[in-house]
Amino acid sequence: MIEAFCVGAVSRGRTLWEGLTLAAGKSEMWIVAGPPSCGKTLLMRILRGERRPDSGDVIVGGESLYRGSPEHNRRFRADSGVVPESFPREAGKTVVDLFRRSALVAEGVPAAEQEGRMAELLPLVGLSGAEGEEVSSLSASERTRVALAVELFRNPRYLFLDMVLANVGSEWADKLGGLLRALTREERTILMMERQLPEKWQAATVPSPRCAGPFLLYRLGDPRTVCTAAAEPPPVETHPEKTGGWG
Amino acid sequence: MSGPSLWWIDWSLHSGSMRKETAGRFLLCFLAALYFLAMLLSGGVNRFLSGQYTITAILRIGVPAEEGAGIAAKVAVMGAVREAHYRTPDEAWEEFLVAYPGLETLRSEGKNPLPGYVEVRLRPERMSEEGIAEIQSALTPLSQVEKILSGGDIMPGLLRMKQWANALLWSGFALVCVVFLAILAMQERARATRLFPDVSFLADRGIPGNRIAARRAAGAFLAGGVVAALATGASFFALLLASGRFSLVRTVVGSAEELLDVRFLPAVCVFLLAASIFPGLASLAGWRAAYPKGR
Repeated sequence: MIEAFCVGAVSRGRTLWEGLTLAAGKSEMWIVAGPPSCGKTLLMRILRGERRPDSGDVIVGGESLYRGSPEHNRRFRADSGVVPESFPREAGKTVVDLFRRSALVAEGVPAAEQEGRMAELLPLVGLSGAEGEEVSSLSASERTRVALAVELFRNPRYLFLDMVLANVGSEWADKLGGLLRALTREERTILMMERQLPEKWQAATVPSPRCAGPFLLYRLGDPRTVCTAAAEPPPVETHPEKTGGWG
Repeated sequence: MSGPSLWWIDWSLHSGSMRKETAGRFLLCFLAALYFLAMLLSGGVNRFLSGQYTITAILRIGVPAEEGAGIAAKVAVMGAVREAHYRTPDEAWEEFLVAYPGLETLRSEGKNPLPGYVEVRLRPERMSEEGIAEIQSALTPLSQVEKILSGGDIMPGLLRMKQWANALLWSGFALVCVVFLAILAMQERARATRLFPDVSFLADRGIPGNRIAARRAAGAFLAGGVVAALATGASFFALLLASGRFSLVRTVVGSAEELLDVRFLPAVCVFLLAASIFPGLASLAGWRAAYPKGR
């Protein structure tokens, strides 16, 4: 479980938010929605253990990512996958190179298993047979989907996705919803940073979000987990709860 | 078969450029090894000079051939001596006539006016004032020896020139090594720059930068060792071929088979070790381009 306690962040001399509290457990997907430049990526970095918060703390498995041992932080990051908002167009690199690079994180994955997993994952993101394609020749949507497949390659327990739904486009946002839901059923924890919830997702059943500073926090998954924020306002009523599935 | 490890991260992610770089390194290492083996074998100009230079011990007239041969045999086992031969008075006379034809009349009444002599050649590595003095001090006390011809006063100057020539040749080898290192460093730095997104990816996923650097360097050390061993082997065979075919190479450099002598083993091992360490060090030196300080 990833637990953020009263986390605050300051950027360029400005307090972006403070007192953010969040607990993301197994089999949960969280969507953190917020306007541009409100610090979504910064929050993701803080939750990943990459950037110490200016106040508060982040606890994973009962140990602080920042005040605990560096080895704990390293293990957590090794156990998590991240799809960044902008995926570089690294010249000359092919899709299979990205999978090779991902395999380096999990040293010792047999080559045959690597190929098998790559062949399974690429069709899931609509890129069958793209192994030999140069990354620079792919569209932004395709690059984002490849990046997701590359992260799933290592079977991470935690997934951090930055603007993935916005980048893949509306058609793929819906398809990825199914994939991500399946992933949460396998006891993974998924945290997504988005400007807003996709329209179709809003129309489906999504629990009411909680407002925390500039963010709207949507929790999708196990209903037992909680979401609170300091000076928490009442739930925002623009996203009424409905029944049925999401994504 | 297991997947790629951090030892071979460069090969795994930049195999195309690694293949080209390794081909270039092999060529450079081949040239450096050829130079080194040739210097090791020849001692610079030592072998050429020792092939041209002889110490001649002129025996007194009337010294029996057995005694002359005995002196040559005793001198031949000295450490500084490559070979020592006794020439009888008759052989000396024939050599004299070859050098100065038409002077047969000097041998009046069948008497040979020339004495026998012992011709001594030094080992290339003992071609020094000390080596010459060692032979002189062994021959001078012998009553059968009338005179020793060893170059006299010009030898110290000549030997100094030899030392300068050797220093120049070894400097040339050092220059080859410096060029080799500079090219290695440039290659490593350029590749490390290309590796930046890959290292960032790995570091973001919890792989410590120092671990990547250490394993890359270890991989570079191993790969460098393999390239150096292959290049040294190839240069040995090239030298073997050249010394078998061209007498000039045998005269100036020597016969490549001699390199199989165990006395050359430590030097060759040091060369291989250095050629392995250099790529490892170059890998570490270029590392900052892939993983800037303060990350």
